[in-house]
Amino acid sequence: MSEHHITPLKTYLVIAGALFCLTAITVWVSYFDFGSLNIIIAMGVATFKATLVALFFMHLLWDDKKNLTMFIMSLMFLGIFITITLLDTGFRGGVNPEVEYPINKRAAFYDSLPLTDTHGNPVDEHGTDSHEGDEDHH
Amino acid sequence: MSHDNSSPDFLQHHFHDVDQQYETAKLGMWAFILTEVLTFGGLFVAYVVYRSWYPEMFVGANLLLDVNKGLLNTIVLITSSLTMVLAVWAIQQKKQKLSLFMLIATFLFAFMFLGIKYLEYSHKFEVGQLPGEYYSYMGPEIAHLNNPHIFFSIYFIMTGLHGLHVAIGMGLIAWLIYATAKGNLHSKYYTPMEMIGIFWHLVDLIWIYLFPLFYLI
Repeated sequence: MSEHHITPLKTYLVIAGALFCLTAITVWVSYFDFGSLNIIIAMGVATFKATLVALFFMHLLWDDKKNLTMFIMSLMFLGIFITITLLDTGFRGGVNPEVEYPINKRAAFYDSLPLTDTHGNPVDEHGTDSHEGDEDHH
Repeated sequence: MSHDNSSPDFLQHHFHDVDQQYETAKLGMWAFILTEVLTFGGLFVAYVVYRSWYPEMFVGANLLLDVNKGLLNTIVLITSSLTMVLAVWAIQQKKQKLSLFMLIATFLFAFMFLGIKYLEYSHKFEVGQLPGEYYSYMGPEIAHLNNPHIFFSIYFIMTGLHGLHVAIGMGLIAWLIYATAKGNLHSKYYTPMEMIGIFWHLVDLIWIYLFPLFYLI
């Protein structure tokens, strides 16, 4: 019987360290606004982290390549799923502008929702000021 | 220790040898991971489509999530992935006790993840940041946004299904703790531990995407 590959302990610790660093980086850059690049940077870092997890923690790097093939196939089908769906939902307006955002109208139940404070309690616009005034005396 | 591999007690009769049994289990596990990717895939498609329809609302609504709790959960889950992989590493080297310790650590980190998730969920229930028609939060920072209840529908379904996977993973790890303590898993046969490890890393891998999608961008 051929022995299974045993990864050195150091490899696992280095990969975990890299995952922590990349997490810190992705949180740190989220405080800057790069416009539309925000999504690309965040997804790029996430994909790099996911690759490390799949190759090293899930042992795909040392496995029979049929397992890696299957995993990549699932991601390819996910890509097809997203692309084909967006080809519909993203270009409806090209056929008929009226159906471009068929559900973009505000849902009706918002009309009956009262405004709330940050704790979710309803506020009536005149009452808030006096309440805040009370707290100042403490 | 006997090196006679012709018929060890863990080799099932329908397999040719131990290697074939191991590779077959692994192929089956990856087939399962494929279905898991596609299960979550449907929800990722929902996220992408609704984000493309409501870009401003998504950017506004994600500010209502607590980045610190999300970051803490990311650290907890990556650490649990490390302890899981070290449990497999330890049992490969015949370090049963270390393996057991790492499994228990993984279980506790998973429990911690769900605990933090519970704090997040209970806060959202309190303030009314709920899916669909149960949504009632109209705080000053979000009252102008269009249909934030859709963000919270997707948030609860995706993190909820992920949380369910964590809970199932905890059950599987608890069984691994039992099997390892009893001596049923050892350096010659640890297939269930490696397979559950792959499942657990998938749970980590999905969270690696959920964290930036909901908390950061």
